[in-house]
Amino acid sequence: METEKLTTGRRVRTQFMGIVSYGMLPVLLLLCIYFSVRTYSEQQREGADAGRASAAAILKQFGPHPCVVIVAQKDSPPEAEFVTTLQQQLRSSGATVAATSIGDVGDARRALKTAVDAGKPVDVVACTQVPAAWPLWKNLAKDWPNLGKPKIMTPPTYMWPNFLTLSNLSNITERISVIAIIAIGMTMVIITGGIDLSVGSLIALSAVVSTLLIQNVGGGQNATPMVMILSSFAGIAVCGLMGLFSGAMVTVFRLPAFIVTLSMMLIARGIAQKLTHSEAVADVPASYKWLGLGADLFNIPNCVVLLLILYAVAYVLMHYTVLGRYIYAVGGNSEAARLSGVPVLRVIIFTYVLCGLLSGVGGVVLASKLKSGSANYALMYELYAIAAVVVGGTSLAGGEGKILGTLIGALIMAVIQTGMLLTNVDLDTQNIVLGVVILLAVLFDAFKRSGFRFPGLRGEAN
Amino acid sequence: MSRLFGTLMLFASLLAAGCDSAAPAPQNATPTTPAAPTAAAPAAQPASRGIIGVSLLTLDNPFFRVIGDNITAEGKRSGYETIVVSADGNVSKQHDQLKDFIVKKVAAIVLSPAESKSIVPAIQEANKAGIPVFTVDIPCNEPNVKIVSQIATDNEGGGRDGGLLMIEALGAEAGGKVGVLHAQSRESARLRVKGFKSVLDEHNAKHPGKFEVVAIVEGDGAKEVGYTATLDMMQAHPEITGIFAINDPSALGARTALEKLGKADNVKIIGFDGQPDGKKAILEGKIFGDPIQHPDVMGVEVVKAIVKQQNGETPEPRLQLPTERYRKAEAEKEAKAMKTPAPS
Repeated sequence: METEKLTTGRRVRTQFMGIVSYGMLPVLLLLCIYFSVRTYSEQQREGADAGRASAAAILKQFGPHPCVVIVAQKDSPPEAEFVTTLQQQLRSSGATVAATSIGDVGDARRALKTAVDAGKPVDVVACTQVPAAWPLWKNLAKDWPNLGKPKIMTPPTYMWPNFLTLSNLSNITERISVIAIIAIGMTMVIITGGIDLSVGSLIALSAVVSTLLIQNVGGGQNATPMVMILSSFAGIAVCGLMGLFSGAMVTVFRLPAFIVTLSMMLIARGIAQKLTHSEAVADVPASYKWLGLGADLFNIPNCVVLLLILYAVAYVLMHYTVLGRYIYAVGGNSEAARLSGVPVLRVIIFTYVLCGLLSGVGGVVLASKLKSGSANYALMYELYAIAAVVVGGTSLAGGEGKILGTLIGALIMAVIQTGMLLTNVDLDTQNIVLGVVILLAVLFDAFKRSGFRFPGLRGEAN
Repeated sequence: MSRLFGTLMLFASLLAAGCDSAAPAPQNATPTTPAAPTAAAPAAQPASRGIIGVSLLTLDNPFFRVIGDNITAEGKRSGYETIVVSADGNVSKQHDQLKDFIVKKVAAIVLSPAESKSIVPAIQEANKAGIPVFTVDIPCNEPNVKIVSQIATDNEGGGRDGGLLMIEALGAEAGGKVGVLHAQSRESARLRVKGFKSVLDEHNAKHPGKFEVVAIVEGDGAKEVGYTATLDMMQAHPEITGIFAINDPSALGARTALEKLGKADNVKIIGFDGQPDGKKAILEGKIFGDPIQHPDVMGVEVVKAIVKQQNGETPEPRLQLPTERYRKAEAEKEAKAMKTPAPS
């Protein structure tokens, strides 16, 4: 038994050769295909792209020298971009842009007046989507007899799955980033046979500690990047200490992990509430959003880059280091592991500390995303993290599981949630579907391990 | 391997079946009411003008359900689809919901912020994407966000209505000692209590019958907290003859506590909101009266503001809806109207 568990590392590596070892990967792909098909629909162009496409369409239809009025909405950067691009493209090919309007109906009317005063009949009014529906255009010929008889045109559309847009894919990974990060630590804790219910509260604690430090010690809005980084590490360190405490309780005093971390969940949330008096801590510099909402590398959100790095490190740790093998060994059979010389106590404590530290990282990411800290952040995140771990194929009984499986599990949950929103599934049904998916995943896991027979009926009359 | 594949397919097909059967649900959820027989009927069925994404504080509270239902109904009348989601009081969840709306390219976003400071980055993202943002019931007055229109109850005015009801309940000449069930973390509650106190102060300056607020305790806007807080308050101040609760659940908690103490007939309660439970208690004489809010009107007004904005006009940046004083007499009138159905 023990020898078998001790070679888990090698076994995992050989299994990785086949897709089969990540049983949930095909499910993830199927879900993506399903939602892509369901959301295949007409897509509106936006910004500069819409401007270019409109210019091409107008020039094609009205020859090289049409007279155009451009109408867009105010307070919207993409609309402003549309106007600039369209105007520039039309002018460079010799068309007349008689007037432009970025604003409300009044502004559009003024633009039409300018065009009439200019005296040249207008061929096209190029609108973005919303202005095109304005009642202004209904009686154009009657209300504006001197305008010529312009055609109202919107940017050409194209067909594409809404699910497969860049913005949606980055949204999916970004929304799951915090849960996926804490799920790394959770996977390791669960593989050792434990559980950590305190991660959600630790997220709130880390968010509160780091934002409070920036606000009260680091100079608030004027804090320097260095101060923000140090404050974040302080928040992460506090969570690491809380994890150390949980680990010590679980190992030295042999208390059940469920109860210890349940207590820590209450304690950490309580401390966060006490520190903030249940108000949001928001006096932080605007640049604090960088980690959570920025996207510097090929438009990939920074928090997703962080997530990928953390998973890569965790993968190497679990599958290519002695410590990783120890973690599997402890979960498989801790007594056997101890007898074979594995430092069981230290290994278990390590997983709880790591889980705490990663919760701290998650807290910093969340605080950055919301540009503030608050004691009520990340409610129920521990359950989502556990669900991601289990959907990813890790056994709650310990000893088995894969880090990348957890990432897939987290992605499955995010894809389902976002996908249902994109396909207009109502709220109550969303919860039911999510619950059913988690259940099916565990069921699948149980079937897989019993060789696709009913696990509970083994040994009964068949 | 083939067994594995089979199980996978089973799993996938189950999932697909689940989603497919779920898809038509939203249409079934809102019964298709035949369009009102007006001349505008054909014009009321334009091609879909897009989706309104609504993220409300919590759908556990019937108050917000009413807002959501009315946005859906009024939106449909104006040619919009509506998606209503619940933030469950959790601002990180609301943040994700707003980001989803942005990806979905909704025509407008309506929200009641779970935390007005922490929701700022999400609103800024919507601003950047050019999606107009509206608030309902709870405003967001943070700098650097663009909100087209904020629609809420005039809470201070509502608090003043509560004060007037209290004076009416205890008698303008008699006066009395009053306790308040607060929910201090909520701005709406702070405004209500402010309005309530200001009416009593004005009254005291002019009349011999004095009203004195002797205790303000935390009721958290919840029934069970309101219950224990009232027990404590009555222990400390047995002379209290009137209680103002900042919402119906805490008012109902106060009522239960007074019944337990045997003081239900000696102490008058003023609630707030006019939720179905609250209205029922007023009808039964358990609560003296409520300044009632109009969540249905709020929902309708938000959609009107959206339509205005989408038609290229500029809606009111702030709309404060007044409350109405609702006592037993009004409750009886409403109950009677319910019994005899309106002529169709």
